[in-house]
Amino acid sequence: MAAATAAASSAPQQLSDEELFSLLRRYGLSPGPVTESTRPVYLKKLKKLREEEQQQHRSGGRGTKTRNSNNNNTAASTVAAAVPAAAAGMGVRPGSGDLVYLRTPAGLGRLAASVPESPVGGPGGPAAAPAAGSKVLLGFSSDESDAEASPREQAGGARRDRAALQYRGLKAPPASLAASEVTNSHPAERRKPHSWWGARRPAGGEPHCASGPDGAAEDEDNEGEDAEDREPDAEEPPWASRAVNGSRLLPYSCRENYSDSEEDDDDDDMAPARQVSKDDSLSRHRPRRSHGKAFSAPPAKSAGSGPETSVQGGGGLAMNDRAAAAGSLDWSRDVEEAAAEPGGGCDALDSSPVPRFRAGARKLAPLLASPVPDVDSALDSSPGSLLKTNNHIGGGAFGLDSARIYSNSLAPSAAAQSSLRINHANHTGSNHTYLKNAYSKPKLSEPEEELLLQFKREEVSPTGGFSAHYLSMFLLTAACLFFLILGLTYLGMRGTGVPEDGGLIKNPFDETFGKIQDLGPEYEDIFNTSLLWILKNGKDVGIRCVGYGPEEELTNITDVQFLQSTRPQMSFWCRFRRAFITVTHRLLLLCLGVVMVCVVLRYMKYRWTKEEEETRQMYDMVVKIIDVLRSHNEACQENKDLQPYMPIPHVRDSLVQPHDRKKMKKVWDRAVDFLAANESRVRTETRRIGGTDFLVWRWIQPSASCDKILVIPSKVWQGQAFHLDRRNSPPNSLTPCLKIRNMFDPVMEIGDQWHLAIQEAILEKCSDNDGIVHIAVDKNSREGCVYVKCLSPEYAGKAFKALHGSWFDGKLVTVKYLRLDRYHHRFPQALTCNTPLKPSNKHMNSMSHLRLRTGLANSQGSS
Amino acid sequence: MTTSQKHRDFVAEPMGDKPVGSLAGIGEVLGKKLEERGFDKAYVVLGQFLVLKKDEDLFREWLKDTCGANAKQSRDCFGCLREWCDAFL
Repeated sequence: MAAATAAASSAPQQLSDEELFSLLRRYGLSPGPVTESTRPVYLKKLKKLREEEQQQHRSGGRGTKTRNSNNNNTAASTVAAAVPAAAAGMGVRPGSGDLVYLRTPAGLGRLAASVPESPVGGPGGPAAAPAAGSKVLLGFSSDESDAEASPREQAGGARRDRAALQYRGLKAPPASLAASEVTNSHPAERRKPHSWWGARRPAGGEPHCASGPDGAAEDEDNEGEDAEDREPDAEEPPWASRAVNGSRLLPYSCRENYSDSEEDDDDDDMAPARQVSKDDSLSRHRPRRSHGKAFSAPPAKSAGSGPETSVQGGGGLAMNDRAAAAGSLDWSRDVEEAAAEPGGGCDALDSSPVPRFRAGARKLAPLLASPVPDVDSALDSSPGSLLKTNNHIGGGAFGLDSARIYSNSLAPSAAAQSSLRINHANHTGSNHTYLKNAYSKPKLSEPEEELLLQFKREEVSPTGGFSAHYLSMFLLTAACLFFLILGLTYLGMRGTGVPEDGGLIKNPFDETFGKIQDLGPEYEDIFNTSLLWILKNGKDVGIRCVGYGPEEELTNITDVQFLQSTRPQMSFWCRFRRAFITVTHRLLLLCLGVVMVCVVLRYMKYRWTKEEEETRQMYDMVVKIIDVLRSHNEACQENKDLQPYMPIPHVRDSLVQPHDRKKMKKVWDRAVDFLAANESRVRTETRRIGGTDFLVWRWIQPSASCDKILVIPSKVWQGQAFHLDRRNSPPNSLTPCLKIRNMFDPVMEIGDQWHLAIQEAILEKCSDNDGIVHIAVDKNSREGCVYVKCLSPEYAGKAFKALHGSWFDGKLVTVKYLRLDRYHHRFPQALTCNTPLKPSNKHMNSMSHLRLRTGLANSQGSS
Repeated sequence: MTTSQKHRDFVAEPMGDKPVGSLAGIGEVLGKKLEERGFDKAYVVLGQFLVLKKDEDLFREWLKDTCGANAKQSRDCFGCLREWCDAFL
């Protein structure tokens, strides 16, 4: 081995760059360009790989391998001597002799060392020893050939080499050319016979596969995939197609990137089984996507959807699993949404089926892997999507029936029609539906339900669904209330059989007296007499005299304070009325209390928000002030004429517009106090300027470079990643609606107004396009989706060109077309929009980066 | 693995015309050696890094061969360049 390495180390200088390159690739490496600086590194790597291979050969014990290794050993030992002997050995092989002859000086030795060549007795290798030696040298020509097949290879090698020569038409020395060709052909041969090499390689196919295990191991993967895109590569050198995974994938990914994004929520509802199977096969054929996370995502999603499947019922379960497991082509938000909004689609009993239906739509979408990478086909794939998108527009009153239909029969048209019918019919609704809705409410406590609730709130906005949703809620509460009151009334009336306290007539005696006295003073006497009689009379006359206390002994009529009936009997109606009134009064009080609490809470929330807003404004102001002061300080450094301090009112006037001054007074004052208290780099002083005393600020931090924090601006357009051509964009504008993805990350966004910034950014990027009429930022989408509608497909095409493939805020933005009717289902308010939207101000903040770079904001956008 | 101040400084902004000594792991001695080899600016080393396809082993090997960087130095340099690429490339 030492000899080998010693020999090898000297020989490599004679390896050409291409040979080195191809050799490295044989080992499955994907090397970068071999230049003078990278050469030594690659040579070392090659050496290392060879050593590893030899190790493996030795330990592998496969026939060919051992022979190879043996040969390596023998070859190694003979290499040193082989060079001079090469000439002698050369003549042995007429056919490939010349090639070998030329080859040897080019440093064949090292290559030959690792080559399994000579074990094969060449076709008629004349002398054993020289043959061995020559085979060693010749080995290169049949470098990749395997032991058994090498005889044929040897024979065909020359042919092949010559053919390769012609084929390649390279001007390089024929030896190296042949060598590289052979090496190239080896990988090619290892693949399934295909195209150009087909005739030559039939035998070479599998035997070659046997050799070079470690190199081949990696290739196996590639080969399977290569088989598919072999056709376009046929003309290219076969090895090139294996060259770099990235480049190989690129055509795929470009195609797929655009196409598979079609298998998106827009695709819907076909028989999931059929689609899923297609999906599986397709996903198998596309093992690697440009977005590598595809494969990590599906397992994650399947895990994620696992717990959620428990929420679902029926077919939804199976569908969901398959959706996740199929590693659906669309790893985008849609699948995640689908996984995340599971129960919705198939959960029958849901008072908020709205988001769940959408979930169902989304979930099914990825299942529908349209094999045709074409927008049209994808969009056309299922009219049944109407069902899903309709649902969420239709609002809450879907209840049981449509959900059931959804889960049971996925036949799109039937479902769509029936659901549409049900949608309308449901408003009349039956009581049990609403009761079931009530019972299903507890389910909303699950965590993913919050997501749905967010969707629900979003979906409620469409005017059509508004009344339906609230109508159902109202009827529900009315029913509840009704039963509640009925029950309580019954309870209130229950005490009729109890003699003690039923039907009390607790009238103060005085009142009674007073009332009776209205009759006239003449009756008073009679009244007293009768009272006395009642008191003295032990008989039960149905009237009982009660004093203040319960057991008080009554001796005189003046002690009597209350009259009580002992046989309480009230008419049913009376009792009912009393009970009802009591109950309603109490309930009203309760409601009032609840309302009061709500009001108080709302008020507190409002105040809190307001305070937060003010604090935020204050901080903004503080930041601006600091910036101003700092820049002023820097200006002072350069220009010694300026005063190093700035009067506070001047700063205020420069930062706050005149018409805002009154509004911002409070904010400003707070900012000033904050600076005085918390900012150490700013000092407040009093100075006399122009005869008047001013409070001034002085920036006192020495301008060291440590203060230079580079602010990477956020939410700006940063250029285009790739040129839009036929490969990565559709040939013509298909619809007027666009879905823009990857504009933001919802978990990273803070505050309430960031979506406006996103909208502004889009408008600014498409500022030359006056055909955008509606923009909607989907705040909850994990993919950062923004939906845009334009006046016509041409405008949409313009916007597509401006946006697709641009970098925004460090993320690569992609755009695809959406069907107009589905867009309207999702955003019915867009139906009536037809006024072009413009950016709200002329500052073009999001284009600032581009302006700096190119000097012309729109140059990036147009293409 | 915590990063050094040099690393953080380098990764914080586009490298522009920074000298090769501003790379993490490259001090005076190594910087001088690299300059002798023609890698006088950080972007040249970046070029080499990219030509080696951002492969760790290859790059570190190259660095070792070119200027005699030890394991830690090459690791720092590699990490620095990689992060820079992640941020700006």
